[in-house]
Amino acid sequence: MREQPVNQISEKGLKVWRLYGIIETGFLLLGAIGAGVLSYIFEGPWWIYAVTPVLVIIFAYFFIYLFPKLRWMRWRYEVRESEIELQHGIFIVKRTLIPMVRVQHVDTAQGPILRKYNLAEITISTAATNHTIPALVMEEADELRSRISALARVAEEDV
Amino acid sequence: MSETRYKLHWITAIIEVLKTAKEAILPIIVLVFANGLNDVGSGKWYLDYLSFIIFGVLIIAFFITGIIKWKRFEYWFEDNELRIEYGLFVKKKRYIPFDRIQSLDYTEGILHRPFKLVKVKVETAGSSSSKKSEAELTAITKEAASRIEMEIAQAKSGKKAILQENEVLTEIIQAVEEPLRKSVFTMSSKGLLILATTSGGIGIIFSGVGIFLSQFAEMIPFEWMYEEISGFIKFGLLIVAVVVFLGFVLVWGISVAMTFLAYYGFNVSLEKEDIVITRGLLEKKRMTVPLNRVQSVRIIENPIRQLFGYAAVAIDSAGGGGAEGAKINLFPLVKKADIYGPLKEIFPELILEEPTGKLPARGKRFFYRIDFLWMIPAIGAMTYFFFPYGLLSLLIVPVIVLFGLWQHRSVAYGISGNQLTMRFRNISLQTAFLMKNRIQSMEMKQSYFHKRKNVATIATNIKSGLSTFSAQVPHMEELEADQLLSWYEKNARI
Repeated sequence: MREQPVNQISEKGLKVWRLYGIIETGFLLLGAIGAGVLSYIFEGPWWIYAVTPVLVIIFAYFFIYLFPKLRWMRWRYEVRESEIELQHGIFIVKRTLIPMVRVQHVDTAQGPILRKYNLAEITISTAATNHTIPALVMEEADELRSRISALARVAEEDV
Repeated sequence: MSETRYKLHWITAIIEVLKTAKEAILPIIVLVFANGLNDVGSGKWYLDYLSFIIFGVLIIAFFITGIIKWKRFEYWFEDNELRIEYGLFVKKKRYIPFDRIQSLDYTEGILHRPFKLVKVKVETAGSSSSKKSEAELTAITKEAASRIEMEIAQAKSGKKAILQENEVLTEIIQAVEEPLRKSVFTMSSKGLLILATTSGGIGIIFSGVGIFLSQFAEMIPFEWMYEEISGFIKFGLLIVAVVVFLGFVLVWGISVAMTFLAYYGFNVSLEKEDIVITRGLLEKKRMTVPLNRVQSVRIIENPIRQLFGYAAVAIDSAGGGGAEGAKINLFPLVKKADIYGPLKEIFPELILEEPTGKLPARGKRFFYRIDFLWMIPAIGAMTYFFFPYGLLSLLIVPVIVLFGLWQHRSVAYGISGNQLTMRFRNISLQTAFLMKNRIQSMEMKQSYFHKRKNVATIATNIKSGLSTFSAQVPHMEELEADQLLSWYEKNARI
């Protein structure tokens, strides 16, 4: 059996995903409150008051607690001399192999939330596909980017 | 430095006008109808005829812009670059280095024919935008086209002979025009007929009709039509059926005719390092695909054609093509037994073995089990709402299961040296031949249920134009999937 890739992404990534989950839940909560108010005004069926909070709680459990945790546990990557290997996916585990010779360019990107936690995501592009490693510590991402680009340069080749 | 600036042929102006007119025709018709039919005379002539005046002004404007565009367009050769200057209001310049030019594709439309002109599309290695091609010369003479070709060939071979005399020029043009060209594949008229009659173009035409109708939906007097139709139905269902059938036949006929015109005289030939494809009756097209840009070769067998022993061969090219990929029909229709000869001639290094790796029987369930997710609610709803007859929807279960089993049986894969062969079925059976050095990335996917049964899905990604073609071997033996990954990992460079 193949070994799992060795590196895990930053633990702060888990926090960021939880934060995303909280934001999404917030929006859902707003929708639920809206539905409640509407049903109060227009005298909608009583069960709306029962169903919406349950929905919000279930959603919160999955998207704030369970999925980020599973996702974080699953996410692994490894940059070797001649290839990059990724593993991710909650329900379907995907293991991707990208040979260094196919790498065309590497990007790092950082949104406002990631910046707050000093994180960055790194995107590896081949001629046909893009692969993103989310939530790496900024320094690590920068180091990885220059390492990949150095390794990829050694293996220059036309498409 | 020969910096003669060349212009396009004047017919460009007319083509340009027609193109703009074609794009603007629907809005114009709507405008004319909406305006011209509603008003019942307001006393002032220019208001009554407003739509016609607008129409006239627009046509004149199209003409003027067409002519200006043509006048402004210039191209020349300088510093090993093809330089183009164009633009209606803003003057734009585009310099394309000869080294970056992958191929020139020629199209001869009806308007080009009488003047011996061609439309030239310049395809480059990696055009970053999703536009069709880097540059387009709408109409130039064939001599001018071969002059471009010659300039490029010269620049590429590194020879920089300065040519001033025309005699030398024509000599070289002739030399360029008759290189070692070898015809590899020609479609017989019988093949053409079968292709046309079994083409999937029918769907496209239907959707085209749909779009056309939706454009006019507001103008069609539906109420009047309903009255007419209710009278019509009294005539008897038979007549309705006949009319519908005739409609189908008509649509099908159009599709046959269009395929026939598009693929008439289909020929594939080899020219040094390029594959040259020519086709078309009214509009002759010539397409060049450099051999080293070919990313994959695929044999596609649609079930109906498979029944009669026919198949199609397509290739994916890295250059050209739009955002939807650059799948090129190499052999649109060919007897399965006749594929291997010509294909071997074009791609000598291709190993055309039947893939032997099959799927394990325990993976069968994955081909249809997931479909129950939508089937059960759908059947439930049908049964609930249309009680007795809704039960008939249960019949879909064996259909889906059998289809899944069919897919399971079709899948095959094999490795021979640096080549991976993958065969899979959506509806058509596809056999993709992929070279290791063309596979951009490989992925193994495994769900929880997969893991329990020790199976996995392998997906390989190939560059096709600006997008990706992904070939999958679904639900295969886990260990074998692992081996495929290791095969890919080892010496990806070769």
